[in-house]
Amino acid sequence: MKKRVVFLFVCVILTLGLTLAGCTPAPTDTAADTEPEVVKVGWIGSLTGDQAVWGTCELNTVKMLFDDINADGGLLGKQIEVIGYDTRGDATEAVNAVRRLTSQDKAVAVIGPNASGQAISISSVLEEMQVPDIATVATNPKVTIGEDGSIKPFNFRVCFIDPYQGAVAAGYAYDILGFRKAAVLYDVADDYSQGLTEFFEKYFIEKGGQIVAKEAFKFGDVDFRPQLSKIKDAGPEVIFMPYFFKEVALSSEQARQLGIDAVLMGGDGWPSEVLLEMAKDYVEGSYFVNHLDFDDPDVQDFKAAYTAKYNLPVELNGYLAYDAVQLLVHAIEKANSFDPVEIKDALETAQVKGITGQINISRETHNPEGKDAAIIKIVDGGYVFQQKYSAQ
Amino acid sequence: MSGFFQQLINGLSIGSVYALMAVGYSLVYSIMNFSNFAHGGVIMIGAYIGFFAMTAFEMPFAVAFCLAAFGTGLLAVVIERVAYSPLRKRNAPFLYFIISAMGVSIFLENIIIASPIGPTFRTYPRVFGTTPFIVAGVNIGRLDVMMFVISAVSLALLIFIIEKTRTGMGIRASAYNLRASALMGVNTDRIILIVFGLGGLLAGIAGILFGMKYTVYPQIGNITLKSFIAAVFGGLGSLPGAVIGSILLGIIETFTSGYLSSQFRDLIAFVLLIFILVIRPRGLMGKTTEDKA
Repeated sequence: MKKRVVFLFVCVILTLGLTLAGCTPAPTDTAADTEPEVVKVGWIGSLTGDQAVWGTCELNTVKMLFDDINADGGLLGKQIEVIGYDTRGDATEAVNAVRRLTSQDKAVAVIGPNASGQAISISSVLEEMQVPDIATVATNPKVTIGEDGSIKPFNFRVCFIDPYQGAVAAGYAYDILGFRKAAVLYDVADDYSQGLTEFFEKYFIEKGGQIVAKEAFKFGDVDFRPQLSKIKDAGPEVIFMPYFFKEVALSSEQARQLGIDAVLMGGDGWPSEVLLEMAKDYVEGSYFVNHLDFDDPDVQDFKAAYTAKYNLPVELNGYLAYDAVQLLVHAIEKANSFDPVEIKDALETAQVKGITGQINISRETHNPEGKDAAIIKIVDGGYVFQQKYSAQ
Repeated sequence: MSGFFQQLINGLSIGSVYALMAVGYSLVYSIMNFSNFAHGGVIMIGAYIGFFAMTAFEMPFAVAFCLAAFGTGLLAVVIERVAYSPLRKRNAPFLYFIISAMGVSIFLENIIIASPIGPTFRTYPRVFGTTPFIVAGVNIGRLDVMMFVISAVSLALLIFIIEKTRTGMGIRASAYNLRASALMGVNTDRIILIVFGLGGLLAGIAGILFGMKYTVYPQIGNITLKSFIAAVFGGLGSLPGAVIGSILLGIIETFTSGYLSSQFRDLIAFVLLIFILVIRPRGLMGKTTEDKA
């Protein structure tokens, strides 16, 4: 008898639970009809760890731009709230952050992350939640194109991609600087570094150059002398270093101490105020491929406004975050809606003039096609723009 | 041939960094029988003390060096009192000590990140000059020579303290059997504090030297993973073992990347280490095989 009472009781609870669960979505449905006054836009990136300098700059930029937009009456009459989450430079954290942004915060779009490894891992959550993402400096091809070659519907970016960067570096080294023997030192544990290496190697060899040494290290290493000693013995004219400024600072110092005088070259992982502070004269005379010329008149207004507000120098990521915001604002205005899927559709054909160059998103690749790269040389401890260069 | 010697010098230099860190681990392990994972955090703090002493307060290297060493010595003693001593009094299992140590390590890293110091990289001013010595075609960095000398002197001093002084006798007795030493009238509480203090001193020295050679950032402590492995390899609890294990690990790493493959450096180096441990589980010079935690 007692058992039956308990059984009935459980049944009642379960039924109630089911009915209630069935009921709950209803209020949110009606709430969606009357859109809230504040619309949320997400941002993810590193606020701690190796790339914190960049992440902090991105989030500052995104917040600053939306503050300005809000002060001017908002977007489509709504105020925008920016919610930023720290990925700690970790792909799993990035996935969690996107999940939190899309399911809990109901963000209409996500900006970031800057690193390819994290940008690649978040696409399944974006597709599941049907929210678009605009990556800032994630240059790996797989950020917008899946392993099977199909487009990732919700991933976009405002920067050019690694093959392009690797090709630009290889072309410039071979054609303009006239180098024939190159060595590569790269981070074996990093998608970005591997991507640049692969395409630098491919294009340099296609042009007729020779890769005399290819050495790897692993993220977290601080000593590169074993690899550099080996590179030294191979006698290259140029060493391609496609990784981030901390390792660039350490490896360039160690290379010079080992008596290597080859020209150093890198990608967009180089530019940082911290690099010049850390590596001083070791990177003097080096070249790197960048997204923009820091002295371009187009970027000066933003640079001044940012420095005035935060009293910090603008990192490369700030400029790309600026363009990501511009692209998103343009798409929202074009879609005339805050519906994530409509924003995504508008992004597919968006064309805006960003401060880093003309951004024409291609429907086939979700990349800005035909963006020029800037070649920068480090002269007297400063970044000196050489020329715009696009690889053939 | 000069390539070979260059790689040997590279290996020795990397190994001596590991050695300075590994000795601190081994010292604490010899008494407490647990791996003090907070050691990496203490090294990191040492690097920051040295950095700010030399930049913000413009002190000469020698003063900054002493400040870093004694600052972290004190920090290690405080950590012992706050995080380990209460556990010790309650006879907690060793696993708890390890968890507590990890907690301290994470705490130290994050307190720096959250503080105004922040997560950015810092670079020491270059006090020793950057032009390397060139001996028979082999480049030897000035800082490497300096590090090698300082490491050797501090390790010799440490061994002197342990082998020749009365306190050292207490340390050796406690390392042999903590409880029996206490029964025989050794003030083990004091001995433990001294051991942590000495470990802290070494951590500070390792921190400032590491910072000068590479750079300073909150995650420096992670590099101690390698030195921990070196300490196990050399035989946890044995100081000469820690030194030899570290130097060997540095050389093995360098030669695998120099002559085999830099892509597989860690893979090859650590398979070799596992192989050696399988043949000789107590490590090269370890005394006991139990409680390798």
